[in-house]
Amino acid sequence: MNDSTQNARPAPRNRLAEFGNHIYRSLFRYGRVPQDAEGQSYAVFNSLFLHIHPVKVSRHSLRFGYTLGLGVIATALFLVLTFTGIWLMFYYFPSASEAYNRMLDLRSAVDFGFVLRNVHKWGAELMVLVVILHMARVFFTGAYKPPREFNWLVGILLLLLTLGLSFTGYLLPWDQLAFWAITVGTSIAGYAPVLGPPLRRFLLGGDVVGQEALVRFYVLHVVILPGLLSIFLAVHFWRIRKDGGLSHPDDNDIPPKGGGR
Amino acid sequence: MNEVNTKHVYPEDPSKTYGLMELVKGTKPTVGLQPDDMVFTWPHLLVRELTLFVVVVAVLLVLAFLFNAPLEELANPNHPPNPAKAPWYFLGLQELVSYSAVIGGVMIPTLIVLGLALVPFVDRKRTGIGVWFAKERSLANGLFLTFLILMLVLIIVGMFFRGPNWGFVIPWESAQ
Ligand code: HEM
Repeated sequence: MNDSTQNARPAPRNRLAEFGNHIYRSLFRYGRVPQDAEGQSYAVFNSLFLHIHPVKVSRHSLRFGYTLGLGVIATALFLVLTFTGIWLMFYYFPSASEAYNRMLDLRSAVDFGFVLRNVHKWGAELMVLVVILHMARVFFTGAYKPPREFNWLVGILLLLLTLGLSFTGYLLPWDQLAFWAITVGTSIAGYAPVLGPPLRRFLLGGDVVGQEALVRFYVLHVVILPGLLSIFLAVHFWRIRKDGGLSHPDDNDIPPKGGGR
Repeated sequence: MNEVNTKHVYPEDPSKTYGLMELVKGTKPTVGLQPDDMVFTWPHLLVRELTLFVVVVAVLLVLAFLFNAPLEELANPNHPPNPAKAPWYFLGLQELVSYSAVIGGVMIPTLIVLGLALVPFVDRKRTGIGVWFAKERSLANGLFLTFLILMLVLIIVGMFFRGPNWGFVIPWESAQ
């Protein structure tokens, strides 16, 4: 900065540096790593991706032993699953005669295809587990109590969506495991009086698991359920902020009918 | 109005000056907190989140290189495996269904979801928030733990102790 501002025509090397600096500044408006309170605040609220966070959080909520990081881990898993899922879509084909071959291709013909599929598969199993553990954490710390009742409800919706995503994904490889697990699973739905059979037919697009079911599960798995999960995840995070950050021992005995929530 | 404990709000740190910036009406948890309990999201929270993210990716990569996701034969509607099992998280339900389709497959799952949804509206005491296994909450926590363990037992039974025609098997004895 110093000599380039003094010389009318800076040396070419400095001009190049200035050009780079200009681009850098337009991307990261507040310098490199913010060091002072002002920079740290701007870093959060001037970034679309960071401003879902408050500028400050309580130390209590940062303690790993309190949350066990489970909500963040679930979010990370969802991001990884979205990324690998979209990547898998380039190879996958929701057809009863093709789907299985594509699975075989992932093992042999696609570079690192087995890693891609394995990450998606183990990530999905882990996500179900982690979301259930996160719910247990929330319960055992009493974090569903006022003002967080609504976020508990949002959470249950997220749990159901997670299960739905895992279940619909289960059919897609179209192997024996997939076919019969879904046959068993959807027949459970069929036991419900009145609503059961139509629900089952709606899910399967017929009376048995076949091509129609595969397309329906595919659309649910790659568009509808992840879309809903993303929307309600945004609501979930929004509520955390509106509820004043994570639960804290200071939340005890707050008077009922607290101000406008 | 609650009483304000000024000693609590203004800790004695001679190197700092504190001023009253704002009077806030409300019950947000931040109200009672000491100013020094709050830290900047950047870097404190973000570094932790990023670290966890990296750990998650690393663990998944290790798992992916070590263990292959299962892939069986091509689906064949004419050859049902015996027993056909649901994914692990539904094995508890499948186990219940084996006793009664309507009770196990419909009523109990509905009750579970409804019960979970009603939790904050049934347990309305505003105590024991913010700590693990608070003493005041031992009844609620005990009930929930029992529920989790029951589910786990059902899943384990469905996973390991069920063989052909959903008959009971002892896993270490049936292995030829
Ligand atoms: C896709 C699934 C879910 C994701 C990604 C998710 C994510 C998160 C995250 C990142 C937090 C911040 C605190 C933490 O990391 O623990 C959180 C808090 C919370 N979650 Fe979830 N969650 C999910 C499912 C659930 C479920 C199933 C429930 C309960 C039924 C739930 C209820 C809550 C509540 C009440 C809080 C506030 C906790 C507190 O204030 O201490 N969430 N969630």
